[in-house]
Amino acid sequence: MNSLLHLLRQVMNGIGLLFAVIVLNFFMIHLAPGDPVQVIAGEMGGASAEVVAALREKYGLNDSLIHQLMTYLSKVATGDFGYSYYYNEPVLNLIFSRLPATVYLAVTSLILAVVIGTLLGTVSARRPNGLLSQLVTVVSLVGYSAPIFWTGLMLLLLFGSIWPIMPVSGMANVVDQKAGFAYVIDVAHHLILPSVTLAIVFMAQYSRLARVNMIDVLSSDYIRTARAKGLPERTVIGKHALRNTLIPIVTIVGLQFGNLFAGAILVETVFSWPGLGRLVFESILRRDYPTLLAVLFFSALLVMVANIITDFVYRMIDPRIQARVG
Amino acid sequence: MSVLEVSGGISKPIAPGPKPAASPGRAALRQYLYSLSGIAGAVILLLLVAMTLFGPLIYHVDPLDIVAAPFTPPGSDALLGTDYLGRDVLAGIVYGGKATLTVGAIAALITIVIGVTVGTISGYFGGAADTALVKVIEFFQILPPLLFAMVLVTLFGQTLTTITIAIGAVSWPSAARLTRAEFLRLRGLDYVKSSRAAGATDRHVMLRVILPNALPPIIIAATLAIGVAILFESGLSFLGLGDPNTMSWGLMIGQNRNYVLDGWWTVVFPGTAIFLAVLAISLVGDGFNDAINPRLRRRI
Repeated sequence: MNSLLHLLRQVMNGIGLLFAVIVLNFFMIHLAPGDPVQVIAGEMGGASAEVVAALREKYGLNDSLIHQLMTYLSKVATGDFGYSYYYNEPVLNLIFSRLPATVYLAVTSLILAVVIGTLLGTVSARRPNGLLSQLVTVVSLVGYSAPIFWTGLMLLLLFGSIWPIMPVSGMANVVDQKAGFAYVIDVAHHLILPSVTLAIVFMAQYSRLARVNMIDVLSSDYIRTARAKGLPERTVIGKHALRNTLIPIVTIVGLQFGNLFAGAILVETVFSWPGLGRLVFESILRRDYPTLLAVLFFSALLVMVANIITDFVYRMIDPRIQARVG
Repeated sequence: MSVLEVSGGISKPIAPGPKPAASPGRAALRQYLYSLSGIAGAVILLLLVAMTLFGPLIYHVDPLDIVAAPFTPPGSDALLGTDYLGRDVLAGIVYGGKATLTVGAIAALITIVIGVTVGTISGYFGGAADTALVKVIEFFQILPPLLFAMVLVTLFGQTLTTITIAIGAVSWPSAARLTRAEFLRLRGLDYVKSSRAAGATDRHVMLRVILPNALPPIIIAATLAIGVAILFESGLSFLGLGDPNTMSWGLMIGQNRNYVLDGWWTVVFPGTAIFLAVLAISLVGDGFNDAINPRLRRRI
């Protein structure tokens, strides 16, 4: 009951924050230099004063700011995020058609980063000064310091040109189109380089975090007890220690969802992956403000949902938290 | 204390009687010099800064000038080759560092000033101010920082000033959280209570009593913030959101990225420069961490 109440409170809080994002979007458009009507008039090849006045009237630019905000809010509430003149499509459709590609990329990278990162961290924690441990430190420093788009380009150079075993752009083979299962394999093949690129940054952080936590956990009393009981080392680490090592990683995963999304924008640009990130890049080039602001809103929505899920997973791993709140 | 013992090990005879304690700053510096990676980071960073400051005085090639055929490989015509337009890559690296490093440093400064101010007020006063400011922090944390910065720069213009402010404006929440946590921890301690009992003003307690003690983690965060800001600046320039009139490392990669298979040097070298800058800064940050964090001190 308590956790249901907690969930409800979180959802309400999230809705409040999203409302604030919409208001922010509205004010950003209004504070930005340049009048939308001037832009339209410019694209028409110049317009007379009467036409400009008519346009201002049509788009409600003569109304008070509060009135305009209300209009904007009521539109957003009905799912109307404006119209993209470049793509000639409502922004909402555009976002929903690009969302799946980004979700594939982000989720694959996240799984890669958490699994490999935790594994590396755990294994290296058993010998804190061993070779593998040093390697984890170096790799995590490199992964953290190299700009993600550059890592992507380097992998592209390596596996697209020097040792060409990977497709370098797009999500599927366009010339030789596959169907059924072969299509799935084709997409998976195209997914390898982008998802590895995106995963490297996060893998670097998780392996370091897992290593530090594992070293900490392994020196605690209950691990000594488990070992004293004669449990095999595999059970001690895999069952007893891992659970506690995972807690801080889950926290970080939740906090970094926004960064994962931002990383996806850069990676999608490098590999021409047809997701939201690519859409952001294109709408920046075309100065397509409605699309850009809608993506900002939806990414905030994604981050918020991810935070709520993280909190939920967190409680499942660590029953103490529930007891504390409840 | 172990610090003094170790430092005495060089060859000084240990004098009997109480020794004057080294000042905390000196002890920290000494500790820093024990960290090899910290020294390496500082050296790389100094070299990069020296290259950006003095490079243009020595190397007189305009980074925007066409000096040879496009995609001339590294060699006698151009030391690091030329890009897709025939511009000198080495000149780009020498001149491009200025924008990248300046934006990084100033944006990090903005991040820390906003973050520390918000965190101090929120953590010291608590109550309604804290509740309100935590809401603001939460709000900024659900907006992906890099995307938010892209939106700001797209809407408000691609100048170095806008870029710097945008990066600072989206990055401060973690610094604010950190400062707030430190203030929450410190404000209940006895020496803070006693200074308040002695009649110190809020301002005095905040800035003179608590803040100096909260500084160590903030200094480390500030160092890391420079690295993050450099990565942000390069990311923005890579996407074509940099100042189009100023050469920067990210811009070089962004402009040449479609030709990476025609001339690897156009992308490899500027990327290495960014990588080294961020690496050096995080090594310096680690060095500070070792120097400041008393829990780690005993390790040596």
